[in-house]
Amino acid sequence: MAVEITAAESTKLATAEIFGRTIAELGEKDSRIVCLSPDLQSSTKMGDFFKKFPERFYNVGIAEQNMVGIAAGLARAGMVAFASCFSVFMSLRCLDQVHTDVCYQNVDVKLIATHGGTSYGPAGSTHHAIEDLGVIRTLVNMTLICPADGLETANAVKAAAATPGPFYIRINRGFDNTVYRNPDYGFQVGKAVTMAEGNDLTIIACGSCVYEAIQAASILKAEQGINARVLNMHTIKPIDTEAIHKAIDETHRIITVEDHTIIGGLGSAVAEVIADYGKAAAFLRLGIPDKWSPIGAPEDLRAYHKIDSAGIAASGSEILNKTVETGGGNGIDAGAITQSVLEVIKSALTVAKRTLKPGDKWDDEV
Amino acid sequence: MAEEIKITESDVYAANIFLGAAVPLLRVICESEPKYGDKFKGKFFVFQMSALYDGVPGGKIATHFVVEDGKWTCKALEVHESPDVEFQFANLRKLNIFMSGKGMPLPRIKGASKLGLLISLLGALLRMAGLMQATTMPVSDADKKLLTKLYFYLLPNGISRLSKMGQPDVLKVTSVSPDRVYALVVNGDDELQSWVRMKEGQTSSGRGASKRGIPFLSMEFRDPASALGILMNIDNMMDSIETGKLLINGAPEFGDLVGDLMFKVAYYAQGEFLVKEKLL
Amino acid sequence: MSVLTKQEWIDLETKVAELRDLCMQTTQWGHGGHWGGSSSVADILAALYFKSANFDFKKYDDPDRDRIVVSKGHAGIMLASLFSVLGSIPREDLKTFNLTGSKLGVHLDSNKVKGIDASTGSLGHGSSLALGMALAGRVQGRSYKSYVILGDGECDEGSVWEAAMAGANFYGRGAENYITIVDRNKCMIDGPTEKVMKLEPFADKWRAFGYEVIEVDGHNFPQLINAIETAKADKAGKPYAIIANTLKGYGVAFAEDNYLHHYGMYPPEKCVIAREDLAKVAKARLDVAKSFKKDTVEVEDLAGIKTITKKDWYVEEAK
Repeated sequence: MAVEITAAESTKLATAEIFGRTIAELGEKDSRIVCLSPDLQSSTKMGDFFKKFPERFYNVGIAEQNMVGIAAGLARAGMVAFASCFSVFMSLRCLDQVHTDVCYQNVDVKLIATHGGTSYGPAGSTHHAIEDLGVIRTLVNMTLICPADGLETANAVKAAAATPGPFYIRINRGFDNTVYRNPDYGFQVGKAVTMAEGNDLTIIACGSCVYEAIQAASILKAEQGINARVLNMHTIKPIDTEAIHKAIDETHRIITVEDHTIIGGLGSAVAEVIADYGKAAAFLRLGIPDKWSPIGAPEDLRAYHKIDSAGIAASGSEILNKTVETGGGNGIDAGAITQSVLEVIKSALTVAKRTLKPGDKWDDEV
Repeated sequence: MAEEIKITESDVYAANIFLGAAVPLLRVICESEPKYGDKFKGKFFVFQMSALYDGVPGGKIATHFVVEDGKWTCKALEVHESPDVEFQFANLRKLNIFMSGKGMPLPRIKGASKLGLLISLLGALLRMAGLMQATTMPVSDADKKLLTKLYFYLLPNGISRLSKMGQPDVLKVTSVSPDRVYALVVNGDDELQSWVRMKEGQTSSGRGASKRGIPFLSMEFRDPASALGILMNIDNMMDSIETGKLLINGAPEFGDLVGDLMFKVAYYAQGEFLVKEKLL
Repeated sequence: MSVLTKQEWIDLETKVAELRDLCMQTTQWGHGGHWGGSSSVADILAALYFKSANFDFKKYDDPDRDRIVVSKGHAGIMLASLFSVLGSIPREDLKTFNLTGSKLGVHLDSNKVKGIDASTGSLGHGSSLALGMALAGRVQGRSYKSYVILGDGECDEGSVWEAAMAGANFYGRGAENYITIVDRNKCMIDGPTEKVMKLEPFADKWRAFGYEVIEVDGHNFPQLINAIETAKADKAGKPYAIIANTLKGYGVAFAEDNYLHHYGMYPPEKCVIAREDLAKVAKARLDVAKSFKKDTVEVEDLAGIKTITKKDWYVEEAK
């Protein structure tokens, strides 16, 4: 089933609006779909669905716990319930209902968590959702998706509607930079999308940071000749271990980028995979440190937290200077030694490349 | 000296924009229009525009061009000791009045004996001034494109120069800016494209596509007329967005920010400051 | 108007007697259980599952059957006993209650026990769940009823009132079939509800939230059945809340109306005494039913039907 949102439209629509349209379209094809909102029908853009199917839409008032409980009840009785509210409340305020009513019962409740990360930056920390990925990731039966842009959100919502079980889709407030111009790029739950090829390092990002990571890779390439691989890890759970293993084997250096605290989210999920794999990789987690974020425009907050293109690019240079010990165990491992020698040569070459190509030339061309 | 002129900070900002960002566009005129450029074929000389100014070592600021067989090299804000032809203004104010078209204070002309060369240079300069001082949309497509190019090169460069000189309104923005690139572009045309980059008070600017990937914010115009509509203050920005003449790629609130910076450049480059600050 | 036949009443008394006894035994098999709140809710559960609700565990996936959400999930041991009496849970399985590897834990898992409508245990969730089920029925064009059974202490939870508000709000969109029953045993873990966190005026709270309230004696089948049937008939133009006044630990002399008997198992000799008490209560209650003079209980008979409590069967030994 194709939900018709053209690339041109997708650049003009806020991500939540794309969700709104998608769910309204899906509602026509699947009469089991119902929508719920806690007085956020307009903010979460469920209005299109409400207009088409008023009898399948419930505004529960400002009562998120009740919304999730009712959604689970609807699902237990055979409906597919999409419930939407701000991510910070979805993941924390009604977590008990998400845990017990939705995940424990393993029902078809699809949580659309808006205003993810610091995307509602000016509202302050009461409205920043910087713990949601970490919290939600731990829930049994839950599929956790953090789409990169509007078209990916449409894909995620379609996948959620077509796949049994609980979903948590974390989207941002307002517009997202366009990552995809065409919805048919092969979105698959649990499979990372390679946005740029490269073997010097891998940048793994989700949500709004995917766009930033792609830009960072092109900066690294243009200014320092560094080839960064960029993975859009839209599904945080189940995470694409295969893509991470490949990144460890082929690039030895991994940076994760997320609009989320560095504790528990994408970075932690990737770290777990690296640790389980047992092979070393230089590793950096970019995100919001264990501190409350300042208020501000989301773009400014991304820059402040160094998860914008410039910040990621700077970390890209930094991680190339890290030595990676790829050997394992106590015995002498010829393969590992060769590998280490290669690493040293490689980093020397990279440093040389960088000295030859000065990055920042703060001058005006005339 | 007959009259005592007090050179203000605005004079310094304006003179730096003119010499640093506007005068260099002479090269663009000569490269874009054979009618002017061809006259310098087979000629080898150094041309300099300058103004005397006590505030710098050497007492003078200047921009000079090295022309070798019609090929122009611009040395912006660099003084040449012995140019073949030089237009030298007695002070920054006079340079500013002349460049903004608010009056005709005559410079001292060095190399007046090279009359042919002088006439060719004056022709190119007047062509540039005519375009830049126009308040209505040029008629021909070629003129629209050329003027768009001139504006595109002037504005980011001007923003960067103002920041480097510490113009408070501009520095307020650039000093706190994360590493970001703002760009102007017409329909993906590499020639009609320029950018300014800023990071914590450092700035740079350039032509063509920025090498740092997709800019943080770009103002993408449908065609030169759409660009001039905004840059010449003929069209309303919201209308242009509505009608598809202008697409802002990036967060809209930062569009206002870069717009304010461009207006600041225009404030000096169009001589508005001379009127507002009663310096005429 | 007839409420239930004398035979139905007698059958209910017989089944609930078996139910309480089985539940008491299960606390022994499982080395513990929430006996106090289970005994208080037993008659409510029996009235629904054995009489008023359209429920047949053999057709648990029938989309048209009534839904029953036991929001006070700690009554899982009574619910498991009830499903065993129904025949849904084999007696051998009941003997594994609480034990490692059992499919029956303190709080029943709706994915493990067919016919259990919700996995409850975190208090204050059941109302929203049952309301959602009622709303789904409306969308699907079905007319099943959706019941939620709340504990009274549970009503301290704010989410109960979020759902209560929504129930009244969605009357006309499915909540016509949404029926709330509160097991008002007036006890919670730390003491009487009125001492820990005041609930009174409890009925007025429900009325203020837009409910038609019926207060009944929760250990009196004719009253309970009449209240449930009245709620089912949906004549008030608003959703119903039935407040069933009950006694924690009902039917065991040393436990009745004593908040301390919340969870646990009695030593075997004490359990024997408890089961003897339960037999005495069962007999006293059966006698009331059997001595009823007509074949059918009518609404006007209700006032004359005695509720059996400790004072009716327990004689304190002389010191």
